[in-house]
Amino acid sequence: MVQYYQPQQDFGTPQRHTGAEVTLSIDGVEVSVPETTSVMRAAALAGVRIPRLCATDTLEAFGSCRLCLVEIEGTNGYPASCTTPVRAGMRVRTHSDKLAGLRRNVLELYLSDHPLDCLSCPANGECELQDAAAKMGLREVRYGVGGANHLDAGKDASNPYFTFDPARCIVCSRCVRACEDIQGTFALTIEGRGFDSRVSAGQAETFMASECVSCGACVSACPTASLLENSIIEQGLPERTAITTCAYCGVGCSFVAELKGAAVVRMTPHKDGGANAGHACVKGRFAFGYATHPDRITRPMIREHIDAAWRAVSWDEAIAYAAQRLRAIQAQYGRNSIGAISSSRCTNEEVYLVQKLVRAGFGNNNVDTCARVCHSPTGYGLKTTLGESAGTQAFTSVDHADVILVIGANPTEAHPVFGSRLKRRLRQGARLIVIDPRGIELVDAPHVHADYHLPLRPGTNVAVLNALAHVIVAEGLQNTQFVAQRCDSEAFAAWRDFISDPRHAPEQLEAETGVAAAALRGAARLYATAGNAAIYYGLGVTEHSQGSTAVMAIANLAMLTGNIGREGVGVNPLREQNNVQGSCDMGSFPHELPGYRHLSDAATRTQFERDWQVALDPEPGLRIPNMFDAAVDGDFRGLYCQGEDMAQSDPDTQHVQAALRALDCLIVQDIFLSETAKYAHVFLPGSSFLEKDGTFTNAERRISRVRQIVPPLAGKQDWEITAALANALDCGMHYTHPSQIMDEIARLTPTFAGVSYAALDALGSIQWPCNSGAPEGTPTMHVDEFVRGKGNFAITEYIATRERASARFPLLLTTGRILSQYNVGAQTRRTANSTWHPRDTLEIHPVDAAQRGIAEGDWVGIQSRVGNTVLPACITERVEPGVVYTTFHHPDSGANVITTDNSDWATNCPEYKVTAVQISRVAEPSPWQQRQRAFDRRQLALLPGAGAE
Amino acid sequence: MTGRQIEHLVRMANQIALNLGAERDVEAAVRGTREHLSRFWTSAMREQLLAHWRGSGEGLHPAVAAVMAAMEEHQ
Repeated sequence: MVQYYQPQQDFGTPQRHTGAEVTLSIDGVEVSVPETTSVMRAAALAGVRIPRLCATDTLEAFGSCRLCLVEIEGTNGYPASCTTPVRAGMRVRTHSDKLAGLRRNVLELYLSDHPLDCLSCPANGECELQDAAAKMGLREVRYGVGGANHLDAGKDASNPYFTFDPARCIVCSRCVRACEDIQGTFALTIEGRGFDSRVSAGQAETFMASECVSCGACVSACPTASLLENSIIEQGLPERTAITTCAYCGVGCSFVAELKGAAVVRMTPHKDGGANAGHACVKGRFAFGYATHPDRITRPMIREHIDAAWRAVSWDEAIAYAAQRLRAIQAQYGRNSIGAISSSRCTNEEVYLVQKLVRAGFGNNNVDTCARVCHSPTGYGLKTTLGESAGTQAFTSVDHADVILVIGANPTEAHPVFGSRLKRRLRQGARLIVIDPRGIELVDAPHVHADYHLPLRPGTNVAVLNALAHVIVAEGLQNTQFVAQRCDSEAFAAWRDFISDPRHAPEQLEAETGVAAAALRGAARLYATAGNAAIYYGLGVTEHSQGSTAVMAIANLAMLTGNIGREGVGVNPLREQNNVQGSCDMGSFPHELPGYRHLSDAATRTQFERDWQVALDPEPGLRIPNMFDAAVDGDFRGLYCQGEDMAQSDPDTQHVQAALRALDCLIVQDIFLSETAKYAHVFLPGSSFLEKDGTFTNAERRISRVRQIVPPLAGKQDWEITAALANALDCGMHYTHPSQIMDEIARLTPTFAGVSYAALDALGSIQWPCNSGAPEGTPTMHVDEFVRGKGNFAITEYIATRERASARFPLLLTTGRILSQYNVGAQTRRTANSTWHPRDTLEIHPVDAAQRGIAEGDWVGIQSRVGNTVLPACITERVEPGVVYTTFHHPDSGANVITTDNSDWATNCPEYKVTAVQISRVAEPSPWQQRQRAFDRRQLALLPGAGAE
Repeated sequence: MTGRQIEHLVRMANQIALNLGAERDVEAAVRGTREHLSRFWTSAMREQLLAHWRGSGEGLHPAVAAVMAAMEEHQ
């Protein structure tokens, strides 16, 4: 699938889907398009490229460059084709002597203030100004180049990924419009008038000093070399391309990977990407350099114990050693003494193989995935209420929403490309309710302002959601017809009695939740009455002791108001990592087989037993926290970990470390020596997303291809490593390509029955369910009936977490993400993204800081009932008094040293979002941090070639 | 088995019972909790909790104790 490099096709103006189809003639070629289409786009579809500079099909027409003029029979003058809509029977001429003269005049003016150094220009060969001059046969610039100009304007090289060269700017405003219309940040503007017009970041600031979020939309939109990637400036244009899928967040953006030789020089967002439609963020667009970082480990390693030096060995020796140790443990301690943990960063095919290895090779069900610690409550909650463990909509659905409720999610930081789409809808007039302890960006952003921000106390989601439902029922705002037709009447009656109880009234809960009753009532009325209402939620919902209850309460709200089963509405979990949905789909939880079918279902189990030719254990296996408890106890002795870094990401770090240290054999498959790998006995070097084939499934159930762009640095793709380990354990896995793994998944999983690599290549991507009833996938679920039949209103009693603020621990710590970093930071910390976030900080309200004598940047000790750590202070009103906040992107921060072992009642998803703490000004790192630094130094010294004995 | 592990199991079981309505509809909570433990816990974890109930049973919510009694009877 690697192709010679060609820039993505540009039709000049956006595609239109509305209006009757009309036929017109362009230069004698007939073309049929919707009547809202521009002449420019119709011409492009007819194979005629009209010259242009200010138009591009990712932006609405602007009509400023006057280069795209055409002649239209029966119309006076020379209209701009970008702003002129087509008409039936229209006859358009795009080339004549008159048009050529007009265009040449315009172009000469542009060139009179533009460097004429095309041969040494970094955009040579990919400059629309150069193309236009070439196509128009421009041979001279009558005005000369000696007049007033901007050729000496200084470059802005402040951004690590791209450079702004104002001398090459033609002030077409494409960058400004991209920042406004696509990204929604409004960081750029055209400063000055007439000849003095120039693109300016912020208020005459550098790009780095401005509000710019480095999404790259301006760079993609620039028609010249004025805004260009540094990698292209340094290395020249790419030679080959392949389409693949981003390995960062759950949006799952499609990218064109562009190569020069065997090196990726640029990642360009794919315009036809179903999830991103040509947009990107600073991570996917620019932060791919980690894949070739010197920290990559590219040789298998083994050692007897974790204080011994690593020994680099062959793949065969490493695999044989791992298999021998696992079998020895089982022989001594029993079949259930080993297990595996996979990661949502891995492909569907990889995690499928891990669960197959455990069930068919280890002979137990001790397999879990990192979705345990993020979205497992989504699986439980949505399965219980709606019948399927997945979000209900496509991302494009938000374009039809009239009111959007965002709870426990921060889309502009954690799901930035979807966040931009959401902000665009808000600018079009959709209303917004934000339920979050922090004042996230959506609460008050350029041209976006929440109608209601309910800054609830951490841990009270269920109380707030119940209060919203109470108001809707009490005030008769429910959709009675929908509930009667689509939902289980008995369950609804019981739930209605429950929710009608005055204890759920906002006034009763105000003291508990911290949310003003009047605001909550207003939000409830808005959600229930404003038309299409859509709920978007994230880990601020799931990572609580009542995460599953909150998910069910969200589903109840959607059913109660009939906001499910069509575009513009629904229940939308924003998955944190790229393949959270997929790893759950693939049977990575210890109680269910692929497709969310419980092990106790004999028919399903038999299907897998026949296919895999092995008997399966019908009993659920251990979840991740159960594994750690059992490891500390000595009952669980061997663990195969594919791509997950529990030692940094899981709560109560010291307990996790004790568990890892207690293992007889820890096998880690990763691309770096992760925090977890420092406790390993076998290291199997994995492959980055650029080095392997497979698929990811994003938050909207969209399955997209991951394509191998470059060879695996360590010689094997991850699925090959798991297959090799399986084969060494006599669990036959004889695939020659991951497409065969997908074929097996499709054969055994009804919701994937129509999925194959051929279908993905043909359709671009597929949203499951995909089967004979929906051969091209299912963008919107539960249209005519719920997957479970009738919707189930689950009782959602609010039960306060035991993690309460007290005299000893008077503040509540909550955790989250930041735009430039991703999860444990293993990837983004090894890129220039750390320029924006070189370390985690602790956000503290000015009142709380003043009470403790803490100033900006001071080192702050944070003590919880399980541990303590030290972080620099960031004094901000983004958090409410009584609440502190941090991220966990840097291992040295020890954010999870202080989070507790509290977890969701149904799934054991950790309660990361609520930890009672006390803070104080300190002078040195915590004892844990000091011990950890020493441990890190020791472990790095044990790597081959590091000089340790 | 360490104190920490049994403390976890007791806490988890109590949480399950409370969230399934132990303070509202004990019969339904007992039924739901038993089903939940069967669907999501390993048999070893259920056995450990049962052993704890047979011993002191300390910390167990009455609804969970009822689940244990039913499981014992079933065995």
